[in-house]
Amino acid sequence: MSPAPADELGRKPLDGGWGWMVVVGAHISIGFAYSTPKVLSIFYKEIQENLGASSSEIAWISSIMLAAMYAGGPVSSMLVTRFGSRPIVMAGGLMCGVSMVTASFGNSMVYLYLCIGIIGGCGLSLNLNASLTIISKYFLVKRPLANGLAMAGSPVFLCLLAPLNQYLLYTYGWRGSFLILGGLMLNCCVAGALMRPVIASCKTSNCAPQKKVEDKPNESNTKLKESCMKSAKSFLDLTFFKDRGFVIYLIGSIMFIFGAYAPIVFLSAYAIDQGVDEFSAAYLLTIMGFVDMFVRPATGLIASSKRVRPRIQYFFSFALVFTGTVHLLCPMITVFKSYSYTFLATYAVFFGVGFGMVFALIFECLMDLMGNERFPSAVGLVTIIECFPMLLGPPAAGLLVDIFGDYKYLFFMCGTVILTGGLFLFIMNIYNYHMLEKEKPGKDGEQNQLNVESQEHVSALEVEMKHTPEAEMERSEPEAKEANGVQREPQPEKSAETPH
Amino acid sequence: MIPGKRRAAVMSFSLAMIGALLLQTVSSQNEPSIASSDHTSLPVEGDSYLLQCNLTSAHSVHQESYWMKNGEEIAETRSPNRNTEYFLKKPRGDAAGVYMCVYTFETAPPANATIEVKSAPDIIGHKRSENKNEGQVAVLYCKSTGYPYPIWNWRKFDNGFPREIDNSSGRFTISSRDNYTELHIANLDIDLDPGEYHCNATNMLGTRDEKIVLRVRSNLAPLWPLLGVLAEIIILIVIIVVYEKRKKPDDLQDDDDHAGPVKTNSTNNHKDKNLRQRNTN
Repeated sequence: MSPAPADELGRKPLDGGWGWMVVVGAHISIGFAYSTPKVLSIFYKEIQENLGASSSEIAWISSIMLAAMYAGGPVSSMLVTRFGSRPIVMAGGLMCGVSMVTASFGNSMVYLYLCIGIIGGCGLSLNLNASLTIISKYFLVKRPLANGLAMAGSPVFLCLLAPLNQYLLYTYGWRGSFLILGGLMLNCCVAGALMRPVIASCKTSNCAPQKKVEDKPNESNTKLKESCMKSAKSFLDLTFFKDRGFVIYLIGSIMFIFGAYAPIVFLSAYAIDQGVDEFSAAYLLTIMGFVDMFVRPATGLIASSKRVRPRIQYFFSFALVFTGTVHLLCPMITVFKSYSYTFLATYAVFFGVGFGMVFALIFECLMDLMGNERFPSAVGLVTIIECFPMLLGPPAAGLLVDIFGDYKYLFFMCGTVILTGGLFLFIMNIYNYHMLEKEKPGKDGEQNQLNVESQEHVSALEVEMKHTPEAEMERSEPEAKEANGVQREPQPEKSAETPH
Repeated sequence: MIPGKRRAAVMSFSLAMIGALLLQTVSSQNEPSIASSDHTSLPVEGDSYLLQCNLTSAHSVHQESYWMKNGEEIAETRSPNRNTEYFLKKPRGDAAGVYMCVYTFETAPPANATIEVKSAPDIIGHKRSENKNEGQVAVLYCKSTGYPYPIWNWRKFDNGFPREIDNSSGRFTISSRDNYTELHIANLDIDLDPGEYHCNATNMLGTRDEKIVLRVRSNLAPLWPLLGVLAEIIILIVIIVVYEKRKKPDDLQDDDDHAGPVKTNSTNNHKDKNLRQRNTN
């Protein structure tokens, strides 16, 4: 008597209900993870004065935090597969809170590097990985929307924390602010409490079958059982590199990350260089963040739609191409000398759109490629590899600016890299799907058929999700009539547990 | 005294006098003379002021001339002319100071003339407010322009009334130098020290005042918001966990829907079986 039979399918992708609370939890968790390293820079000036550090020494805090957050990926994915998301997010929140509170008593830079950078960064990496994993457990049909909503946490928290931090700094000084921020980060524990674990096992091969169809079918079934065991044991699963789709995705996302952060870092400086005043230049980033906030859920909504969902990898490459093009067009500001601020503001809006689209889809595409079981380890591997372009991108761009003395080369470089990444993804995905069709033994149109079937199955599931109890009752009616006709026994059709 | 000796003494005395006088005239003839503009004070009539120096007489060949301001050479003012000028265009407070035109000679020490450009003090550099934690050191500073260098004075305004700073605790240190002054307050006290401080610059032409607000933060102040946040977090977690525990029986009901009704099914069957058995029996 299996405890939860094809509840594997009927239960895991809840696609609603408590799932939305989980999205709220993930939103908070991811929000803290991405925005904290950025907003800490508000405190730098006062810490510099207080502890007597140089600008480069103090900038290391953010870098170490980001690096630890990304590098902690594999460890965090191993812990998530072992213990589930809830305890990990609560542990992560606790670590972050404790790190900020202890940092408030610091008297040297090394102490701050250790507390905020390493311990805080590790806490955030636990948060990030676990939040993404639990979304994949709770959602299937509406997963892109859930991902978009959760990833929107990053710009929302950035917009919330920035003025809050200013106020805290003014009222309490940097030590008091860190103390209070530590308390606020414990809200990640609340987010973790929301992430109710899903009672599911991946021991049966019924695990999200139609997802496996879209994956590489020649490895699916054998790989599935292996990876279930493997992901719990090894945390750096290098067999991922044999997966063509994974490698393509990895290359595309590395190229994106390399060019993604440099424009953000240098946008204000570029604006001031073009003659805009300081206050308006800082406002550009606010515009970008604000646009980003709305674009991410919107992209998730679009990606959830019937037309785009099967072609989500292409949508992702479109987003990359769009962002790359926007960057390449930015130096055209020289044509619009008299309207430079309007031009820059428009650029910021489009940049926000592109950035939001990519980030809403970046983990959704990985989930789409890898499936639920392999996703935690995959995301750990991806984040630790992404650590390098993320840390190298802005300094490389800065080097370009120093050598040529002109910001436009920065935008050319970033735009070209991202555009190339997008085109690479697009072409390689066409190739990949083509190869998948070829690899399907004998049956040419099976891929299409299965896709169609899976879509029908998915839509059937959707219908089922809406009317679960009634549907079950409807389906079980004939059986009830068989048995007694008196009692209605809601039984899912694949149930094998009737005692009689 | 012998009349002859007296006459000799007078003569030697007058000779010495004449000699000294001669020496003086000769030496003053050796000194170069410079005709320079008058001292002035800002603001000037019109938009600009011209500082002029003319080397009217010199005993040796002159090399070049340049200008100095407040003891430092002004760049790009070196010229070989005897008549040298420095143009002050729209002079503001920072143009005030001691200007010197300097002439260098090949075989003689340089000569110079001084022109003073005076103005009333104007305070240009100060922080409007300073926030520090108690126990720390606060440094309030003021920077001024104007010449002659002002006399600095620090006062604390309590309820609108100026009071001299009470240094009975020895925590206050004032260091003033030319155009710059600093007030150091060590070991900030949250009750006594916060408030409005005024730095005052006074010279013969005028006086100027500027206000700086000092706020002292308590070290325990952030504890209250922290406790509030912790309370909020604990309450939320408790609510979520309690809600989950209460929902769990319902959830289990849903889970064991197959189990639950199955049980009823089995009882039904038992009943049926019983019925049947009875029937058969």
